[in-house]
Amino acid sequence: MGRQAIKVENLVKHFGEGDSLVKVIDGADFQVDKGELVALIAPSGAGKTTLLMMIGCVEEPTSGRIFLGDEKVYDNKWITKETRKIRREKIGFIFQAHYLIPFLNVIDNVTLVPQTNGVPEKEAHRFAMELLEYFDIGDKAQNFSSELSGGQNQRVAIARALANKPQIILADEPTAALDTDRSISVVKMLKKIALDQDVAIIMVTHDEAMLPYCDRILKIEQKRVVSHHVPKEGVEML
Amino acid sequence: MINLAKKDIQHTFGTFIVTAMGVGMLLGIVLIMMGVYRGMIVDAKVLLDDLKVDLWVVQEGTLGPFAESSRVHQDLKESVYAIEGVSKTAGLTFQNLQLYTSKKPVRVMAVGFNPFDAFNPISPNRLVAGRGLMRDHYELVVSDNIGLKLGEDIPIGRHIYHIVGVTHGTVSSGGDPLVYMSLKDAQELQFSYSNERIRNDRARGINTTVSLMVNCVVANIRSGYSVEEVAENIRKSKHKSVYTQEEQNDILTKNLIERASKQIGLFTAILIIVSTIIIALIIYTMTLEKMKEISIMKLIGIPNMMIMKMIVQETVLLGVLAFISGNIFSHIIYSKFPKRVVLEPSDALLLFVVILFASVLSSIVGIKKVIHADPAAAIGG
Repeated sequence: MGRQAIKVENLVKHFGEGDSLVKVIDGADFQVDKGELVALIAPSGAGKTTLLMMIGCVEEPTSGRIFLGDEKVYDNKWITKETRKIRREKIGFIFQAHYLIPFLNVIDNVTLVPQTNGVPEKEAHRFAMELLEYFDIGDKAQNFSSELSGGQNQRVAIARALANKPQIILADEPTAALDTDRSISVVKMLKKIALDQDVAIIMVTHDEAMLPYCDRILKIEQKRVVSHHVPKEGVEML
Repeated sequence: MINLAKKDIQHTFGTFIVTAMGVGMLLGIVLIMMGVYRGMIVDAKVLLDDLKVDLWVVQEGTLGPFAESSRVHQDLKESVYAIEGVSKTAGLTFQNLQLYTSKKPVRVMAVGFNPFDAFNPISPNRLVAGRGLMRDHYELVVSDNIGLKLGEDIPIGRHIYHIVGVTHGTVSSGGDPLVYMSLKDAQELQFSYSNERIRNDRARGINTTVSLMVNCVVANIRSGYSVEEVAENIRKSKHKSVYTQEEQNDILTKNLIERASKQIGLFTAILIIVSTIIIALIIYTMTLEKMKEISIMKLIGIPNMMIMKMIVQETVLLGVLAFISGNIFSHIIYSKFPKRVVLEPSDALLLFVVILFASVLSSIVGIKKVIHADPAAAIGG
């Protein structure tokens, strides 16, 4: 159990009922360890985001079990009603677009969750500045997202995801809006973060070029999740 | 802890202030409406306060010179004076006139009184230029808002009147400026007929002169006597209607301006409801504009309470700023109104409480949106 960051057992998600019942995930079993960067791939509409939202305690599964670290958070029902607290304390989110809060400047965006968690303002600021320096945007701390480039905004978004020192980062196509070079640099950055911060990262991607930089690939096949190793030579979509 | 409302307002400061000022102008109008009502009450009491009488003796069965037509003989003042407990009496007339000034015709109320009697309706505090009446004829003291100057001559009826004094803040219960003239002049204007009319009356067998009439007799009571008891004595012995100062006050403030005040009250209530709806719509729009951010905040784990606090704080601040700008606006424009507008701090305080309550009520629409915002909406797919 020591290295386990995410464990999913027999996870099921259905939408609708009766004749209109749609099975999206039907018995997913997988585990992601700390320090791992895992790519989650599947054709559009196969349930990648739904799976990500279930692990992120946003979408309630139909049945199954979810463990975050050693804590069971779902066992056919949410163990706690405070799923938002779990998100705030254990999970970092990165989205396709940066989705920074436009009326908060960079430093406030990054310190919002830690301060909500009760981290003193000074400490939250110090750590946020460390993260921003790490991403080479320390000088942008007082700027608003509207004053930054797309790449800079995405780095702020990653810093925000790390600011609460999460055990897990869930990234929903974080490179979709970037060119290949920037995408590779972001994925490399995520890999470094996974190792440096000992965080498990699940990254939804459609971009084959990103796969070699991941440790493992989870693919949704026939409504189940199958784990694959990253091909050693060349890049081919699994 | 980050204050989301403060950050949001700082980010859109200009828009927020302009919005608050817009709502503030509406609230300013609400304050003005309240001020118009207060002004009507003050106006209604100007004459009463200046006269300082204990009893109003008027034609039997009428409400007196301000609410209904009343005529009593001038010598009634002598017979009332003879009643035990009465210290002094005077006959007064009140009539509406149209003054033809050099600029435009002005509707005024003329108060006729004997300058040599014990009662003088011209309060020294209100006399801002010249003097009071000192002659029996052709002198006039006018209110400053008529636009006439001290020393000017003005024709009224068959005569030219000389302005010997100017008062400030003297208006009738209807808001018309007051002019003061001698009782003899006022009687001639009100009760004397033209020669043609007198001839016509004589031809019909009517041969009366009514010029020695007044609209009411006012009286003061000696100390140690009950005003009610003396009033009752006059009613019984003189067959007249008698009102105390308090009753006359009620006639003026309740009977005369009751419907006007209800109209203003209803208009004010509608304006407050409109302001509340506008604040609610502004907050709803402001919340709608932030739905994506609210979904993101919910997704990354920000508690509902923190987001709702932002909505409530912004709404209340909008209400408070609107109230402040409304106050400033009303204080800038109130003197431009043709009738008296009295801005009372108590009315402003009442409006503040109402707006605070309305703001909190308005924030409910925003809060409902926050509660129902789907955190998954932040993510595509």
